[in-house]
Amino acid sequence: MIYEFEGRTEKEAIDAAAEELGLERDSFDVEILESLTGGLFKKGKVRIRVHTPDEAPAAKRRSANENPLPADEFESKVLEFTKRMIEGMGYACEVKVLFREEKKLGIRIDSEHASIIIGKKGKNLDALQLLANVYAGRLGREDLRVILDSENYRIRREESLVRLAYDTAEQVRRTRQSVLLEPMNPFERRIVHTTLNDIVDIETKSEGEGLYKQVRVTFRGKI
Amino acid sequence: MERDLVEYIAKSLVDDPASVNVAVVEGDKSTILELRVAADDIGKVIGKHGRIAKAIRTILSASSGASEKRVMLEILD
Repeated sequence: MIYEFEGRTEKEAIDAAAEELGLERDSFDVEILESLTGGLFKKGKVRIRVHTPDEAPAAKRRSANENPLPADEFESKVLEFTKRMIEGMGYACEVKVLFREEKKLGIRIDSEHASIIIGKKGKNLDALQLLANVYAGRLGREDLRVILDSENYRIRREESLVRLAYDTAEQVRRTRQSVLLEPMNPFERRIVHTTLNDIVDIETKSEGEGLYKQVRVTFRGKI
Repeated sequence: MERDLVEYIAKSLVDDPASVNVAVVEGDKSTILELRVAADDIGKVIGKHGRIAKAIRTILSASSGASEKRVMLEILD
């Protein structure tokens, strides 16, 4: 996959890319598109293009022993349903089995339209996933959770939430002021709660109503 | 087309696919899709707290056609 990033310096642009993609700096190739050196009163600007390997290491690890082809009628029906929804949206795609766990079926979506399929904060991917789960339930598998992923979005999101949790805890400890994070779905909130669970002087609580609650991070003091 | 997408999803989720019907009402700036299903199946396309209907609407707004014209979904009984 190819992404473009911008920064005031080359380093800043690469840092932004690593942050955004959740990858190590040396795991992708960087191509400088535009480089304007800043003067005394002028800010510099560097645009880079980043080439990432098709499969990020995390995904490779998870799917190492998986057969990407559907193993039974149930799997092929869920894969087909997912593919047809996305094609119905007007985007060509390939869908494969990403991983199989007890009570979980991971499905990987490959498409050049991945960014719209994922959507802002994973909104579209979550909607597709919800429907895929309802459909799986209709096939008699209410016990199973279907997880859709594209471009390793889920793994990258998880990593960035863990980072956000630590950064927020650090800030709360320094300022002694509680911080209310942006609304998140239950799965995302759980990541924040469990990440900070072991940190004794920090407390987390969900606030609000409905599916998208907000996590408040507060300082609890030394125990 | 968005109509086919709604029809496909609805037919996949209901007990009575033959009763699924999607009518298209074209407006100047938006297209309204009117989804009708068998009375017993209404809950299956709306879901608890409207979760399923909301997911279908989200997908519609992300579809390639929606960039030109707004697509709205109405579920009729």
